[in-house]
Amino acid sequence: MNPVVEPKRKRVSFTISTRYRLLLYAAPFLILVLVFSYFPLYGWTYAFFNYRVGFPLFDTEFVGFKWFTSIISNEFQVREIVRVMKNTFGISTLGLITSIFPVIFAILLVEIRTNWYKRVVQTLTTLPNFISWVLVYAIAFMLFSVDSGIINKLMISLGLQSGPVNYLASPDHIWIKMTLWSIWKTLGWSAILYIAAITSIDQELYDAAKVDGAGRFRLMWHITLPGVMSTFFVLLLLSIANFINNGLEQYFVFQNSLNKDSIEVLDLYVYNTGLVGYNFSFATAVSMLKSLVSVFLLFVANQLSKWVRGESII
Amino acid sequence: MKKVKKSLLALLIFALIGSMLAACSSGNNDPKPSASPNSTTSDPETGTEEPAREEITIDVFSMLSNFSGEQTGWFAHALKEKFNVKLNIISSNLEGGGDIKFQSMMAGGDLGDLVVFGDTDSKYLDAIAAGMLLDWTKDGLLDNYGKNMLQNAPKALEKNKAQFGGGTSIYGIGNDVGPETEGPSEAKELNYHPNLRWDLYEQLGRPEINTMEDYLPVLKQMQELQPESDSGKPTYAFSMWADWDGNLMMNTKAWAGMHGYEEGDGFNPGGFTLVSADTEDVQGILDEDSYYMRGLRLYFDANQMGLVDPDSITQNFDEAVNKMRDGQLLFSWFSWFDDAYNTPERMAEGKGFHLVPFNEARSFSNGFNPYGGGRVWAIGSKAEHPERVMEVIDWLYSPEGNMVANYGPEGMMWELKDGKPVLTALGEEAFPSNKTPIPAEFGGGVWDDGRNQINNTTFKNTMINPDNGDPYDYTLWTSTLAKAPTKLEENWRAAMDANTPVEWFTKNNKIAVQKAIYTGQPYVEMSDDMKQKQGQVASVIKEYSWKLIYANDEAHFNQLKEEMISKAKGLGYDEIVEFNKEQHKVVFELRKNS
Amino acid sequence: MKQHYSMGDRIFSICNYTMFGIFTLLCVFPFYYLFIQTISDNSLSASGQVTWYPKGIHFSNYVEVLKVKGLSNAALVSVARTVIGTIGTVIGSAFLGYLFTKRKMAGRVFWYRFVIITMYFNAGIIPWFIIMMNLNLTNNFWAYILPAIVSPFNVILVKTFVESLPEALEESAEMDGAGTIVLFSRIVFPLIVPIVATIAIFSAVSQWNSFMDTVFLMTNDKLYTLQFVLYKYLNESNSLAAIIRSGQGMENIDLSRVQTSTSIRTTVAMIVVTPILLVYPFFQRYFVKGIMIGAVKG
Repeated sequence: MNPVVEPKRKRVSFTISTRYRLLLYAAPFLILVLVFSYFPLYGWTYAFFNYRVGFPLFDTEFVGFKWFTSIISNEFQVREIVRVMKNTFGISTLGLITSIFPVIFAILLVEIRTNWYKRVVQTLTTLPNFISWVLVYAIAFMLFSVDSGIINKLMISLGLQSGPVNYLASPDHIWIKMTLWSIWKTLGWSAILYIAAITSIDQELYDAAKVDGAGRFRLMWHITLPGVMSTFFVLLLLSIANFINNGLEQYFVFQNSLNKDSIEVLDLYVYNTGLVGYNFSFATAVSMLKSLVSVFLLFVANQLSKWVRGESII
Repeated sequence: MKKVKKSLLALLIFALIGSMLAACSSGNNDPKPSASPNSTTSDPETGTEEPAREEITIDVFSMLSNFSGEQTGWFAHALKEKFNVKLNIISSNLEGGGDIKFQSMMAGGDLGDLVVFGDTDSKYLDAIAAGMLLDWTKDGLLDNYGKNMLQNAPKALEKNKAQFGGGTSIYGIGNDVGPETEGPSEAKELNYHPNLRWDLYEQLGRPEINTMEDYLPVLKQMQELQPESDSGKPTYAFSMWADWDGNLMMNTKAWAGMHGYEEGDGFNPGGFTLVSADTEDVQGILDEDSYYMRGLRLYFDANQMGLVDPDSITQNFDEAVNKMRDGQLLFSWFSWFDDAYNTPERMAEGKGFHLVPFNEARSFSNGFNPYGGGRVWAIGSKAEHPERVMEVIDWLYSPEGNMVANYGPEGMMWELKDGKPVLTALGEEAFPSNKTPIPAEFGGGVWDDGRNQINNTTFKNTMINPDNGDPYDYTLWTSTLAKAPTKLEENWRAAMDANTPVEWFTKNNKIAVQKAIYTGQPYVEMSDDMKQKQGQVASVIKEYSWKLIYANDEAHFNQLKEEMISKAKGLGYDEIVEFNKEQHKVVFELRKNS
Repeated sequence: MKQHYSMGDRIFSICNYTMFGIFTLLCVFPFYYLFIQTISDNSLSASGQVTWYPKGIHFSNYVEVLKVKGLSNAALVSVARTVIGTIGTVIGSAFLGYLFTKRKMAGRVFWYRFVIITMYFNAGIIPWFIIMMNLNLTNNFWAYILPAIVSPFNVILVKTFVESLPEALEESAEMDGAGTIVLFSRIVFPLIVPIVATIAIFSAVSQWNSFMDTVFLMTNDKLYTLQFVLYKYLNESNSLAAIIRSGQGMENIDLSRVQTSTSIRTTVAMIVVTPILLVYPFFQRYFVKGIMIGAVKG
């Protein structure tokens, strides 16, 4: 066998120090990371070539930084990029602000004393997470469409609008609408983490505070909330690093020509201009840039956390 | 608690050892295959030597297929009987869409045994250049196993040799190989022609329509005549969908098709140009009087008249089909789109869509093509049994093989009566695509699921089958044509004095047939920079096209139009149009000579 | 909880219950809506006439879908990758996350960051595919498992969780002379059950839901998963769109052949989603407040 299950008494005979023994335990996992996450990075070299899949890399033309500069090579392109980055920042900022919602959700949910009700709520609110965005859009279309959508029927019969409206086409408040959709879809699911964190809070803390005469709200504020904050800050930091990665699917299914101006985030723009499909080098350049920006943001956020909260997270 | 701990520990140790082993073997660059099911299906070394040939599985990588997995049902049975092969189909469309699956297979250096390309585009060229495809002239492969191709499609082979094989090698053969005859190659209907609700149109007294714009008042009257669908929803003339838009808005481009213009010239894929099928005219899509701009204007006017479905901009193809099925629509650009409405029951009542042409129409048609179309059959260079793959392809290029691939073996769906093909009772029940059970002797399953899933053709099916003198296409068999038409069909024929739309178009000289051309080299590809620009321009054009249709008023329409043109030009529209016009000129020269 | 609630408490409770009630309904409705589409008359649902309750109830869609060839095999593969993959992730990430809390570990910060930043790496599909191919992980079931063992996100979660625990317990055990592995499995693991349950759920769901690895790595239909089957249905109109863009041979298109009806596709979606829903309540019992502390004390 291996040292892992060796009987304790033999440990003294090990010459290897604890420091390296711990590293040795981690080694198989680190090797997995190396193989599956680091090895593929050799592909970043493609970004500097006119790479065509199936041919040896050095048979293809070396182009230097051409693909990195190609999307901002003229004034019109710059304007497009500025617009796209504005959307990316807007939607990401809303996402960061609303990332506190699952915390609130979890804290309030724990306050529900009826056990069956709590369980039902907890289970059913995760449902939207399991439906893909394509299906979410199909449902949204059935609800909001002009002729058969219930929302239009409802609004007209209530006399709130004179004729049907195509809600999905409207470009108004699209950032907020997108944020609401994603909250709806992920709220119950994201709260799981915080619910788990709350369960690990020492019950004695609550008991002691109750003895001191603390009410329900003070318990929530002074014990539950601080108890989940470390998890929250870790996740916040991780999502700051994802600032320019909004993902594609949600925006792709909800986009249309009328709302495109304000819904097109970076990922969607790269997809829409059709470049990823056939221009492999360009796609690599984009994902390389995005990776670097994300890692940079991660360390910036970590540094900020060090200054502000006195502890670093990674 | 103790029990839990123990089992957890056991689990942990098990997994750790497992992961360490795994880590070791994955650190190694050349691990031995693990015991898991990772057999490459193409080489089952089954051992038992039978007098017949051993069974093999052919991996078919099809860029046209709409199915992935093992071919089943009657077609699988027919192949098994004849060649002792099975087909394992890999569909690039279902698996990732676009070119992603193709690229990963290229990266892996193996495109499968039988490869079907969607077009003779850069993918085909790259596959040849990277050595992924087998040269059929090597080892006498073609001479020994390609007799039918050599006999029935010599020009298609010759074209592939000259155009893609540097004059010496043959890497594939195109689809829809036809005879060298003039005229349209389509069966009864063309791709683009305006179909209207014929019953309503007749009720209006069949008003004359001269230009494409003249449809609007007629459609308005039809809408007033039939304000509601079967389920009580409002009717519209146009219900469009955006999810199919490529370089431009697809539903608008359709109007160019009805005037005999298409995006490509039959050789170059083009982009932002509309090329006439049979003259030397080329339009930039943003030209003031292009059919594309006229189409946008028409939809804008239609929207002002309440003829455009307001959901058009947000719905996808599925929803448009559902509306068609429900009877919410009065107009169809495509002969196949209204199939959803034209059910046998409705047609028997005389209700349904049929061609209502306008006088300026010159609908786009593909001519017969002895050189074969762009959908290529090829063999992967890593194929283990190329000769057996070749045999299958070759058989499909024989009259017998083509009949089986389309309609199954004789005696199942069809039989010969007095030397002419007729449908059997089973065929009557199953055609065109029903889930009719198939007898076990032919492989069982149901008709529709058992059909040939490779989804590429060999011969043009409107061509005459030399075995029986009727075309391959069953809708054109003498026996099928002799059947009593539906009421809808009868009404239309009486009014139009023609049996089919194709006949009407041909008779009235309102068809623009694009002849097949023969070239000695592949087309010139755009540089990657230009493709990048094309993507950005296309994105702008699509966005603004839809905005124009929904513009509030005339002034807004004009303002958006200006914006669209200046943005598109700013991103490089002109450069791409110029490039394509140059390429089209080359084709026009070749057209003269062929 | 026999306490006297104040007025404020009561109002708060009422609001709280109501709010969660409404939000739950909002979450359930779409699912319910999809479900009634699948059991209603197909022509009624296609024309949007089924909104609140099923009409013309039938189950032929389900019968039809269950007849799809290879479905049971795909279900088996899905279950296998979910179970094995989850066990792998839980053990790999929990153990690694725990190791990273050990200040004594050589180069701890470096290695931790080494793992974490890979969350943001994206080298693209092709290089990844080539690596997997060279590891012989194409058409190989382990391709579903091995890459998932170390999940940086889960490692972070475990590390954060362990760090929030009182250190006293572990230290006392260490003084008893317990080795790292024993310490982890006997002392730490029971303490971190809530977070383990969490990463188990996360991992199970992501294993169940993933399909891109199948798309690229598997050509053998014995290794197809349920999600992949669904994904193929959702992709059908792609090929139609591709054909019309190339502009050839559209006149022969047979709509009913290329496009599966919406009702069938919705049914597949239902069938694919349901099993994973059943897993969640199972894990939920680990979230009940206090269970962990109680367990340690007892």
